[in-house]
Parts: sequence; C-alpha cells; structure tokens
Amino acid sequence: MNMRRFALLILLVVALTGLPVLAQDAPEGDTFVTVMHYFTGELGREGLNTIFGNFQEASGITVFDNPIGHEDFKTTILVMAAGGDLPDMFSYWAGARTQFVVDSGRLAPIDEWWDANGLSDVVPASLAAGATVYNGARYLVPFGYHYAGLFYNPTVMADAGITEFPTDWAGFLAMCETLKAAGVAPFALGSMNRWPAQFWFDYLLLRTAGPEYRAQLMAGEASYTDPEVVRAMELWKELVDAGYFVADANAYDWTDAADQVANGEAAMTLMGTWITGYWNGNGLVPVEDYDFFPFPSIDEGVSQAVVGPVDGFVVSAEADHMQGAQDLLLYLLTDTDAQTTWAQGQGALSPNVNVDPSIYTPVMQKAADVVAAAPTFAFNYDLATTPPMAEGGLNMFAQFMNDPSGYVSYLEQTEAVAVEVFGK
Amino acid sequence: MARSRWFWRIAFLAIPLLLYLVIVVGPLLYSFFFSLTDWNGFSFDFNFVGLENFSKIFVDPLFGNAIKNTIIWMAAALTLPTLGGLALALALNSRMRGARIYKSLFYLPICLSLAVVGQIWIWIYQPRWGLLNITLDSLGLVDVSRAWLASPETALIAVIVAWAWQQTGLAMVIFLAGLTSVPTELLEAAQIDGANQRQSLLRVVIPLLQPASVVVIALAVINSLKSFDIVYIMTGGGPFHSSDTLAMMMYNESFKKYFMGYGSAISVVLFLIAVVLIAFYFRQVRRLENLYD
Amino acid sequence: MTSSTPALKTVQDEAQERRSNRLALAALYVTLTIIVILYSLPGLGVIISSFKTTQEISQGGLWSAPAQINFDNYDEAWNNGNVRTYVVNSFLVTIPATLLSILVGILSGYVFSKLPFRGSNALFIFVVAGMFFPPQIVLIPLFRLFNSVGLYDTLWPLIIVHTAFGLPICTLLMRNFFSAIPAALRDAAVVDGANEGQVLLRVMLPISLPALAVLGTLQFTWIWNDFLWPLIFTQSDSMRTVMVGLVTLKGQYSVAWGVQGAMAVIASIPTLVIFIFFQRYFIQGMTLGAVKG
Repeated sequence: MNMRRFALLILLVVALTGLPVLAQDAPEGDTFVTVMHYFTGELGREGLNTIFGNFQEASGITVFDNPIGHEDFKTTILVMAAGGDLPDMFSYWAGARTQFVVDSGRLAPIDEWWDANGLSDVVPASLAAGATVYNGARYLVPFGYHYAGLFYNPTVMADAGITEFPTDWAGFLAMCETLKAAGVAPFALGSMNRWPAQFWFDYLLLRTAGPEYRAQLMAGEASYTDPEVVRAMELWKELVDAGYFVADANAYDWTDAADQVANGEAAMTLMGTWITGYWNGNGLVPVEDYDFFPFPSIDEGVSQAVVGPVDGFVVSAEADHMQGAQDLLLYLLTDTDAQTTWAQGQGALSPNVNVDPSIYTPVMQKAADVVAAAPTFAFNYDLATTPPMAEGGLNMFAQFMNDPSGYVSYLEQTEAVAVEVFGK
Repeated sequence: MARSRWFWRIAFLAIPLLLYLVIVVGPLLYSFFFSLTDWNGFSFDFNFVGLENFSKIFVDPLFGNAIKNTIIWMAAALTLPTLGGLALALALNSRMRGARIYKSLFYLPICLSLAVVGQIWIWIYQPRWGLLNITLDSLGLVDVSRAWLASPETALIAVIVAWAWQQTGLAMVIFLAGLTSVPTELLEAAQIDGANQRQSLLRVVIPLLQPASVVVIALAVINSLKSFDIVYIMTGGGPFHSSDTLAMMMYNESFKKYFMGYGSAISVVLFLIAVVLIAFYFRQVRRLENLYD
Repeated sequence: MTSSTPALKTVQDEAQERRSNRLALAALYVTLTIIVILYSLPGLGVIISSFKTTQEISQGGLWSAPAQINFDNYDEAWNNGNVRTYVVNSFLVTIPATLLSILVGILSGYVFSKLPFRGSNALFIFVVAGMFFPPQIVLIPLFRLFNSVGLYDTLWPLIIVHTAFGLPICTLLMRNFFSAIPAALRDAAVVDGANEGQVLLRVMLPISLPALAVLGTLQFTWIWNDFLWPLIFTQSDSMRTVMVGLVTLKGQYSVAWGVQGAMAVIASIPTLVIFIFFQRYFIQGMTLGAVKG
C-alpha cells in the first residue's frame, strides 16, 4: 500500500471510531442521581439492578450506578475523593471507615431529612445509634447488615453425637474435643484475605474483656500489649494448638472454608450471614444442610455482644443531585419490597423494622432474633478501628494463623503500629 | 537548511512532548508535591511536614523489606523469563515444521490479562486440589507440597513464577527477532571454519543477540520496578508483607492506610531508583552501539 | 551435537551427521511438545473453568474435567450485562490509542534518530524514563485533570493516557528502528528535494511496516488488557471496557468463576488474533532494528 494512503487511512480510522461515540452527555437536574457501590457479586448486582429499576419506574429519577468490586472500590472512591468529585452517593461500611470520611469533611449530614421522614421509627435504635451517627450528626443510611456466628454442618454434628450446642466455654471445648475424636476438624477458616480471621479475635476479646474495653482498644485508648488482649490471643492459641483448625488457614479463601464445612471436612466456621447467600447459591438447604449457633460466653458477667458489619449508603458533601440522592436513599431503606429483595438475595438482615421476618429463611430469622436480643452490636475489627490500624491488626491475625507461637511479638509489632496511627 | 531542520524538529516533537508533559510529567510532579505533606487523600486540607515522610522511609522496616523483594524480583526477572525465552527462541529458530504453532502457544499467555493469570495461578497453588500439589503428591513428594501462597517463605517466588510464565513468551519473541537478524552466511561461515554447534552458538549467535538482550533486560528491569498487578491479585503483598514490592507497598500505604503523603514519598524514591537504572542502561546501550555500529 | 574438530569432513561423517541431525530434531520435537503442554496448562485452566458452574468448582476443585461441556457461562457472559458494549468500548479505546501512540512514537523517534540536536539525547532519556514508574503514582492528579476538563466518564481519557504512556516505549523502538536505516537513504531523498515530512512519509515509513506491526501488536495487547485506567476514569456501565467487566465480576462475598473464565476467553481472542495476524511481521520487524538497544 502506498504510504500516504496508509497514513490517511490511519487518520480516517481514528476520526471515524473516535469522535461520535466516545462521550455521552450526562443528564442534568433533579431527575438523576449517580451511585457507586461495591455490591458486584452475582446476587448483589442482580438484586440492585431490580431495585434501581423499580425505583426509576416509581420516581422518574434515573439512577446512574457504578458497581466496582470490593477492593477496587476502595481505590476508586479514594481517587475520586482526592480528585474532588465524589459521586452523589455511595455504599460504605458503617463504623470507623465512615468516621474517617466524615472526619475528612466529605459527607453531607442527613439529620433533617432523617427526622422529616421519621426514620427513627424505621431503624432499631441500637443499630441507628452505632451505625448512623458520627460526631453527633447522622451521616449513614443502613441498607443491610450481617451477623457473625458459628455456622455448622448439621449432619457432621449429628454424626459426632452433638445435639445440643454449648453456651459456655467448657462446653465449647468439650464439643471441639468430641468432634476431633470423631475425626472432624472443628473449625474451617479461610484467612487468605485476612479479614475472615478477625471474627475470632473480636469474639474472644469481647467475651473476656467486654465491649467497653474493646471499644477503647479500637479507639487507641488501650494497648495491644495489655493483659486483656494477651489473654484473648492465648485462648485463640489454645484452640489452634489443640488442632481444632483445618491446617493452612491462610491458603484458603472464606468460600473454601464454607465448602469445607459443606462437604463435612470441618464442622463449622465463624463467619457472617452472607455465607447463607453463598450456600443457598450452591443449592444447600437452610436448617437441613446448615445452621448456626452464637459464639459461647467465656467469662461470666461479660455482656454477650454480637459482631457484624453494617452496609449503608452515604451522601457526598458536594452532591450535585441532592434531591435524587435523598429520594433514592429513602426508597432503599423504607421500601419493603426493595429491602426484601436485598435481604433474600444477599443473605443480609434488614435494618427496617417493618420488614416481615417471614421473608427470611429460618436460619436468618434465628440470626435476626439473636441480634435483637443482644445488648451490644459491635462492628467487626476492620470496621471498628481506623483503616491504617486495621491494616496492622489484620496482618497480625494472618501472622498468628501462620504461626501462633509468636503471638507476643506480633502484639508488640501491632502496638508499634497503634502508637504511630493514634499518635500515642 | 538549519532553520528548516528546526522547523521539522519542532513540528514533529511538539505534540508528543506536549502530551508527555501534560499527562505524564505534570501529574508526576504534582504527586511528588504531596510527599511533603501529611495528606490522607480524603480531606481537603493537609499540613506540610517537610521531609518527615522521607526520614520515615529510612527507618521503616517495611520499606527495607520491599526493597529486598523488588531486588529479588529483578534478579528473577533477569533470569527466569530471559533464559527461558532464549532457550525457546534458539529451539524454535530452526526451520522446523510447525514452529509457528509452537510460537503462538508460547505467546498465548501474553494475551491473557494479569487479572486472569493471577487467578489461574491461585488455582495452581491451591493447597488441596491445586495442580502443583496434586502433581507433587502423585510423585511421592508429599513433603514438598505446601500452601505456596500462604507461606511467607514461598509466596514471593510463587508470584514471580506466575509472572515469569507470562513474560517468557515475550522474551522468546524478541530473541527470535534477534536471531533472524543473525545472517545465515555468518553461521555457515562459522560451520565451514569448523566450529561445532556449541561453539557457533557461543561465539557467533550469542554476541549478535546482545541488542535483543538489551531490550529483554530493559523490559525485565522496568517490569520488576512496576510489578504490581499480579501481586495485587495473588497476594496483595502478603502474607504479612512477604511479597510486598515497592509498587505494592506504595499502593498499600496510599490507598489502604490512607497515608497519601508517605505513599508519595515512596513513589519519589521509586522514581529516583528508576532514573539511576535508566542512566546506567543507556550507558550500556551506547557502549554496545559503539561496539556494533 | 555433531562431530567436531576435523576441518575436512568425509562422506561417512556427513551421513552420520545427517542421521544424528534427524535424531536431534526428533528429540527437539518431543522436548518442545512436552514443554508446550506443561506451558499451556494454566491457559487450559481458564478454558476448563469456563465450562464449569461455580458450584462444580466449589465442590470438586478446578482441575477435574467438567461433568459436561455446557456453554451456560458463555451465554451468561455474552448476554448478561453489557458485554457487547464493553467489547465495542475496548475496541474504541484500543484501536485509536494504539494508532496514536505509534504515531507520536514515529514523530519523536524520527527526530531523535535522524535529526539529533544538542541535548536531544538527554531529552530522549527523559522521555524514555516515563516507562519506569508504576502508573498508580499519577492516578489522583490525572483524575483531577480529566474531571476538571469534563472528560471524566468518557473514553477520551483512556485514549489520551494510553497514547501518552505509550510514548516512551514507542519512541524507544521507533528511534532504534530508524537508526538502523542507513543515512544514505535519507540523504538521497533530501538531495532530490524532499523535506523531512516527505522523507518520513515516503522513505522511512514504507520500510518500517514490520516495526509498526511489532509496535501495533504490543500496544494493542497492553492497552486491551489494561483495567486500571478505565476503572478510574469511567463510571457508567456504557463506558466500561471488557477488562473492567472482567474484574468487577469479583464480588464482595462471591465470585462467578465460571463466567469469569468464559469472559477471559472471550476477552483474549482479539489479542490472539492480532498476534497471529501480525506474526510474520512481528518476527521480521524485530530483526530490522527494533532490538537494537
């Protein structure tokens, strides 16, 4: 081909492919809202598509949504915040992560709107207090929440002769021993991505030192080398040393651990209620194929807190479409159909008291009851303490699962991180 | 004449340099600016902390660890894919039938994105049903099989192997191109002189492959400094920092711990290392050019 | 290895040599076939996963043969969501960005190789240095830039960024390629009254086709497989590229492995086609000078 023609062709192709379709005008005005969220799993995405579709139909407001997987979401939202243009609203984890963004002055308080719509009658007070209020003002609208419990395989338990589930530590250890004797590993744990290990630390600390001490530790007012923390780690170490955990926890993801329980290799796994969504998706039947019991008490007189994350939506302080955002928020929380779709698809609990409990599977209903009866709802570790601290702590858990014997030095390292993060 | 030359220089360089300054250099300097602050990325305001972030680098054990891992990565990058690619290129350069199919198969991994490559290798290293452990166990090497990505001793190497798997095809292609440039007459002349194959390989082919090696080596060095995507997908730098590279650490500090200022300081150091390496690289290249021109 | 030292070969030697050559060739085939099979296993894993349901993977692991070949994952990957839009977007970004980055590489490479000036070497190193740092460093400033000029959530930032970040490698390869072309060619055209633009267009480019094919293949592959920039610079589903679609299949609490596998297979077809199509050029092109330092 003649070279000039070749060059012309190149330019032509560029012009033709590039110009007309590259940009698309974003609609303006109140009939429009941009949402970013991290619900990209099979079930989550489908559910949200339905919900957004229904909202669009009912309100005439176009939802411009942008789903991004969990880890990439954290990066993208930070780049957008740093670049000065957050979406109108985005999903976020209640607790220290939201606190961090609130402290940075990037979220809009929603107190007036909350009160005007009487949302305090919709969200249970205990949940609302912990998840929605930061620095004395309301910022987050809960969308769904989860509870972490000991999810087990009923067949395995029955085969080992376990019919009653322990509520105290001695009973718990006895059950582990029975299971081990029956040739089943009591616990599966998939801590490849670190966070699944945190629930053990959370519950062991909460059941011994209590919620108040833990809150202090999370806020940087206590030390990781305190006897309280050391004791929790020692209890954990006893469980690992006794051979109660499936080996190589760090090599597996939480879904692998779920599979190990499902196929009977391990008896149970300490995990959040989203595991029910995963199991249901794989064709397991609630109660028949899986069930759960709450983490037993350890020290008498310590209040029986429950642990879990709350997923919510927050509104950017510079939102361009405040009206659209508020309408969508209201719909997401108060429309019972939307809440039902979400809870059923994701294996989540609804923060809306008007949602009929009969929509839940029996297992989820039991989880809702446990949470309702609990005196304290505590966020899991990486949502309870500030993000840079959580990095240090999650590392410690992974290190611990790799080789528990060095726990004293791990705690010292973690305390060094805490000193830096909290400026102690 | 001279004026018209300048006209063409400016005409040709204007757009590329403008683009480069606006899209690459400007943002880079902008990032460097944050290395002097305590910015967390979210808030609008921040404080100037002078060189505090840089002094932290020198006492941060994580930084030393990341440097060590990056050097290991570089050493592996200079050997695994380079030697593998060279061997494949030498083998496939002969006029064998079907060479093209082999070449395509070896090139195939480059067509996969690192996200997919990472996931596939996670499945290979999976301790239970992963291909590697199944194979080792069936060979009776039960003691060798382990949780590759979960052990701090093996995680880094495991990630590097996955990466090298993808890069070998690229090195092969570049060496193949270099080999095609070895004039057959030269080889034949060497044969007539009585050089056996090994000798002709050592004395004739390898020296003539030096220009190709320069490209392969440059790519290896560049990619080790930039090694991020596959680490991010396979281990995220873990378990507990055992596979942290400089780029991975910069990312973790900036985007996971929200130490944007400190992350920027790491990127400044990373850039300085790159400049030193590139200066060294060009000195070598110029020496080579003088040798062969 | 053939027989060595004697300078004069007897007929007997030659016959023996031919026989051992044939043996060596057979051995080569066997070895290469074994290596290529081992080498293809990870790629095979992608294909196996694409035929399995998530449930099947979770129960039996990845590496067993699928119970039945079903195309549900492909059906899902192709029909669910906006994959067709993603593919179109990927082409809309990759083709112009590939062509433009090569174009700017040609322009600057030509100046650095044929129209050098005082300081041009330093400028060249300055440009090539752009290859060496991880792009995460400039995410935030670039986001700010494109957002402020209203290009956020369009495909333009992707084209612009890939062009600018492609400049270093394209400049490096084109400069080296042009350097290998004898100066006499250019001089003759200049004597005939051609200006630099005409020299580039009529003399240099026609013999550069192989180099352009090389760059085209590499740039196409790299740009096609990138997911960082589209993830950051686009937000609506209608602006997503295939690779972003692929990584966003990873959910918070679950991952559709099978669909991801199917999508990975679909997504890697264009780059493979490009390679096979350009392979001849690829090998030749490298020969002619791209590999020269």
